[in-house]
Amino acid sequence: MRVLSTLRFTLLRLMRNYIVLLLLLAVPIALLTVFSVILSGMVDEAGRPYFDQTALTMVLAFQLFGGSTVMSYLNEDLFARNRERMTVAPFNRTLYAFSILLAGSAFSFLLGAAIMAYTRLVLGLVWANWGWTLYLIALMAVLSSIVCVIFVCGVKSFSTAERLSEVYGVGFVLLAGLFFPMPQHAVFEFMGSYGNPLTLSVGAVRAVEIGNWNEAWFQANIVLAAIGFLFPVMLVMGRRRLR
Amino acid sequence: MTIFYFTLKRSFANLANLIFLTAAPIACIFLPAGEGWPPLAYGYAYFGIVILFVAIRLAQIMMEDRVKGILKRLSVAPVRYFSYLGQHLLAYAVILILQSAVVVLGGWIAGQELHRPWALFALYVSFSFAALAMALAWISVFRSKDAAFLFYMSLIVLAALLGGIILPLEIFPDLLRRIAVILPTFWFAEGLKSIASAQPFADNVRINATLCLYALVFLVLGSTRRMQ
Repeated sequence: MRVLSTLRFTLLRLMRNYIVLLLLLAVPIALLTVFSVILSGMVDEAGRPYFDQTALTMVLAFQLFGGSTVMSYLNEDLFARNRERMTVAPFNRTLYAFSILLAGSAFSFLLGAAIMAYTRLVLGLVWANWGWTLYLIALMAVLSSIVCVIFVCGVKSFSTAERLSEVYGVGFVLLAGLFFPMPQHAVFEFMGSYGNPLTLSVGAVRAVEIGNWNEAWFQANIVLAAIGFLFPVMLVMGRRRLR
Repeated sequence: MTIFYFTLKRSFANLANLIFLTAAPIACIFLPAGEGWPPLAYGYAYFGIVILFVAIRLAQIMMEDRVKGILKRLSVAPVRYFSYLGQHLLAYAVILILQSAVVVLGGWIAGQELHRPWALFALYVSFSFAALAMALAWISVFRSKDAAFLFYMSLIVLAALLGGIILPLEIFPDLLRRIAVILPTFWFAEGLKSIASAQPFADNVRINATLCLYALVFLVLGSTRRMQ
């Protein structure tokens, strides 16, 4: 298990990646602070504060971009800059790639949890069921990492893979109808409800808030099923590329 | 005008840029209109954010020149720095003006409610100048291309939110509303509002002049630094 000894350095690298910290931690915190000032005191028809919904959506939406670190490290270590060094290193490269995937997902999850803690401690937001929310953050982090690994292994050019991962993140945010209402069409309606990991996980958390555990498990399990489906795809593509 | 010609060519050289420069404005034409907010259809408010992104992506070409040392070679060539900068900015301005024309003309053909297309076009052009000058000033501070872009990206999101492009300024607390006035995005949102509510012509002129003033200030800031 020589790969285990590299895990420490992967984590150190993740923690020193200031640009990722800025984009996935500082930006959401700044945005949430601004939103909490703007939306303070406003409630929707059901009497819940608007800010609850915004905070939940933002915490989960930023997980869509969490896979970008996994992608850039895989590219740097196994396909580009350090490729030759890693080829002569006496360890299993597939396992190393897998350790990056795990570490990257865990890091993304931790950032999500940190944002949640910030909204609780500083902005005073009460999460109805924080354990369940954390579970969905974890699912989203793993899903995004897997998708990004598929992109980086499936596409020859890294910059194309990067653009694709942006399309994945921004696309699902747009499809969820957060920026403007989507047209009334069966395809858009599906992609704005059961075909969209973001709306699924938001829906799962909202369902728990009103005590509907059946619906919550149903929506969360769809995300889990997507992970279960994409994981073998990722294995096949990754093995083909790493050979 | 050799530099101008090659800058135009370079701007469209890579596929991502080509798609971004052509597809984003076209997508803006077809976004739906909201109920009461924003004043024009969604695409016409978000086109301001697109302009900011396009400006930084284009200005990065100049940054690449500086980082790779092309600017050093140019300094021994019989080209004045002023003409290098001028022709680059002209090329970017042409691209942005064309995009604005596409968005306004396309909306007019597609039957979007634009109220006063000419005033809208003028607003986009003056905002483009301001965005370009800001991008120029921004890249002159940075050394790494990625860092410059990603930092700027986060600032764009914040400025768009605080300037009143994403959410109506009326729901903001008093303090934030007053601070918003210093952001160029505020003046852009203000311009859209004034076009939609058929304010007198002088109001449009005032807003465009403010945006041009931003352009001038940032142009001066951004063009002072030449090399390294």
